[in-house]
Amino acid sequence: MQYGENVRLALQGLTDHKFRSFLTMLGIIFGVASVITMLSIGEGAKREAIAKYQDLGVNNIIVREKTLSDEELEEVRAKFSQGLSIQDAQVISEIVPGVERIASQAEKNTDVRYNDKSVKSTIVGISPAFQSMMNYKVQKGYFINDKHYNERLKVCVLGAGVAASFFKGEDPIGKLVKIDDQWLEVIGVLESKSLFTETVGELAARDLNTDVFVPLSLFLNRFTRENQLSSEIQQITVQLKNSDKLVEASKIIHEILRRHHFNNDDYSIVIPFELLKQEEKERQIYNFLLGAIAAISLLVGGIGIMNIMLATVMERTREIGIRRSVGARKIDIMSQFVTESVVISITGGIIGVLTGIVLSLIVTLFTDINTFIKPYSVFLAFSFSVIVGVSFGYLPAKNAANLKPVDSIRYE
Amino acid sequence: MLIEIKELKKNYLLGDVEIPVIHGINLNIEKNEYVAIMGPSGSGKSTLMNILGCLDTVSSGHYYFNEMDVSTLDDDALSIMRNKEIGFIFQNFNLLPRLNAIQNVELPLVYAGTPSTERKEKALRALNRVGLSDRVNHKPAELSGGQRQRVAIARALVTNPGILLADEPTGALDSKTGVEIMRLFEELHTEGNTIILITHEQEIANYAHRNIYLKDGMIHSDKINSDKTIIF
Repeated sequence: MQYGENVRLALQGLTDHKFRSFLTMLGIIFGVASVITMLSIGEGAKREAIAKYQDLGVNNIIVREKTLSDEELEEVRAKFSQGLSIQDAQVISEIVPGVERIASQAEKNTDVRYNDKSVKSTIVGISPAFQSMMNYKVQKGYFINDKHYNERLKVCVLGAGVAASFFKGEDPIGKLVKIDDQWLEVIGVLESKSLFTETVGELAARDLNTDVFVPLSLFLNRFTRENQLSSEIQQITVQLKNSDKLVEASKIIHEILRRHHFNNDDYSIVIPFELLKQEEKERQIYNFLLGAIAAISLLVGGIGIMNIMLATVMERTREIGIRRSVGARKIDIMSQFVTESVVISITGGIIGVLTGIVLSLIVTLFTDINTFIKPYSVFLAFSFSVIVGVSFGYLPAKNAANLKPVDSIRYE
Repeated sequence: MLIEIKELKKNYLLGDVEIPVIHGINLNIEKNEYVAIMGPSGSGKSTLMNILGCLDTVSSGHYYFNEMDVSTLDDDALSIMRNKEIGFIFQNFNLLPRLNAIQNVELPLVYAGTPSTERKEKALRALNRVGLSDRVNHKPAELSGGQRQRVAIARALVTNPGILLADEPTGALDSKTGVEIMRLFEELHTEGNTIILITHEQEIANYAHRNIYLKDGMIHSDKINSDKTIIF
């Protein structure tokens, strides 16, 4: 008997009992859809995490001032720590092996004004290496360079949000904005950055688009500190030549700072790459659980198919007898019933894949969970459903094939 | 010799006990014979038919079909035998309700692996032979009893088998329709087909040329039907 004949028969069987077939498929549909949705949620989370840490630089170690209350700050100063300083950065770059670049960063929360408009912003004083170390991209103009830094030029680069609220349709480049009592020329605007919604170590969640960047030299020279006790700088970003020395280097940095800060614990060290690895490990367990739940639902779907197929075989004993009497061999009957369950599971698989894709889109649209469907997960879910069809169709089909023709032909 | 049966015995297992159904039958059937096998219920005629039709196997003895020992064949080989050499006609027609007339007739050819166009051609010819060329696309439920039995006969004929094996072919039909079916058998016999008829009705057996009476699993009598019914 030809294979095409079996498929035709199975399809006819499906359409003859539409509702029953649909109910049988439902298990597979839910199974496949949940596999795809779960995997897409897992993949979305992974990509989000990678993007987040990539912004912080995978070869970077970030040393950041701890957020302390005024009393704590006074106490720390009384114990001789001056907080993070340019000098700290210098010592780190001299002592720690494998340092590629180092960038210091001073920050201050204040208003930025343009004409009569005013925006609350974080002014960030940075050294020129900062841009490439942090993957910042300029959408207009250019970033602060060595010349600006060395000559303490009164220039600034605006975050996308700041630029958008000041200059609607106007070209921001060359315009003057006012910060404290300083007039600064806008030389560039950054590309919009996704919201930094999670706190990573001491890096608090905030909207990076409201940042305004100025040369660190200018910042230290012209702007008053936010408060008298504030440290000279708020962050030192250390970029290493490669990522496998990150932990080692961070220990050395810790040792240096501990001594320079007289054992005051007023800084924290964040290694984005290590956090990424750790998060990945946690997510792996989570993904495994999601996958297991989805696999179980697929399994239940398979059992549903088996159940219906067993009932079908009983119900169609007479048909099997007739087919056997006109010359069907066991293998013909067997392949007829296996084909039937495979057709059910493939059809269910296709509908399940589509449902899974739609579900993932719905999840992305209506929640803040990112999803991403990898072609591999579609392939995985689909082939799994075919395997389920074959394996759970096998036993009923074997039962069908083993019916004795002489008994089944007279079955009422 | 088309069929040669030697010392055929068949037992059924009932729990642990073996119940003998056929006690040792010797039987020869020539090509183009028209034989009726008769007997009361329990005489073993259905069992004999199942064995003749390769649906069942013997407990001991031999069954030669065209000089081939069928009693030694495995399940696949028996299936092929049924497919090529046996044309079954049942009392309750045994058509597949979801298939239309031509699809039912094509069924044996599907298992023979005949290509689809050739299948259609042969099935149409068989349906035409039984006078149903205007009913090819009807499902069994849309056909009368006599028409259904004609479809079943067309299905039996389509592979051009060695024997037609009819089990109470008129049992579910009214007498007028029954006579029409018996006329068709007579014609098929005249065309050279070998027919074995299983029945418990003497009236039906009278159409055949040779009557075999089974009783208690043995041949009670085997004679040429001298006053056979002629259908005009």
